[in-house]
Amino acid sequence: MSKVKEWRALDHCDDKRNRSQAIVEQDANQKNITKQQSEEWIIIKDSEYVEVETTDTQAAASLQIGIEAALAVVLRLAIADGGKVEDILQDFNQITRTRQSNRQKTIVEKSKDVNITTIDTDIAINLQLLIQLLIAVIVSLEIL
Amino acid sequence: MSESSKQPPLNEKLVEVMVQTILRKNGVKPDEVKNNIPEEQKKMIREMVEDLKKQVADFQQNQAKDKSD
Repeated sequence: MSKVKEWRALDHCDDKRNRSQAIVEQDANQKNITKQQSEEWIIIKDSEYVEVETTDTQAAASLQIGIEAALAVVLRLAIADGGKVEDILQDFNQITRTRQSNRQKTIVEKSKDVNITTIDTDIAINLQLLIQLLIAVIVSLEIL
Repeated sequence: MSESSKQPPLNEKLVEVMVQTILRKNGVKPDEVKNNIPEEQKKMIREMVEDLKKQVADFQQNQAKDKSD
């Protein structure tokens, strides 16, 4: 049985751009992917002309930290007992953390002209829950 | 999906009840602690929460925009 040669992107070079530019773009892509490694994996192998668009998990993560910090500040201002504040924050964490198990893995192999768009709905829901929690706290403490 | 910003939030009352339950469970009485925060700090907190609320709304709007693109 003769082995049919698989199509491989790097076997030929019908590059629509000039080559040096392609190398630069590849480098930029790799940097972008490493940054989001903890939440999301996108593996592109032996392919060309792949466009990737993902949720800005970095922005969401820093926003989440901001809301959590605000929650802690409000509780610490209102409640003198630090131990009690920690216990309350722990209880809040149990409500919000359960939704953070989203892991996405996207693999593109031996492909050409592919557009990838991934959306992390869990992180958006979690943000909304956190902000509602914060608002409910300041309503309960009659700050709002 | 631009209407996602108009989506009803996760049940507001439910979150409120959860917060009140957690405060009570930890022995915090809102009536007793609400006066611990001076008025100017309350104002600061209100501004901070407003700002965070806006940032979350902006983030969600961007997501919705990406989805419809």
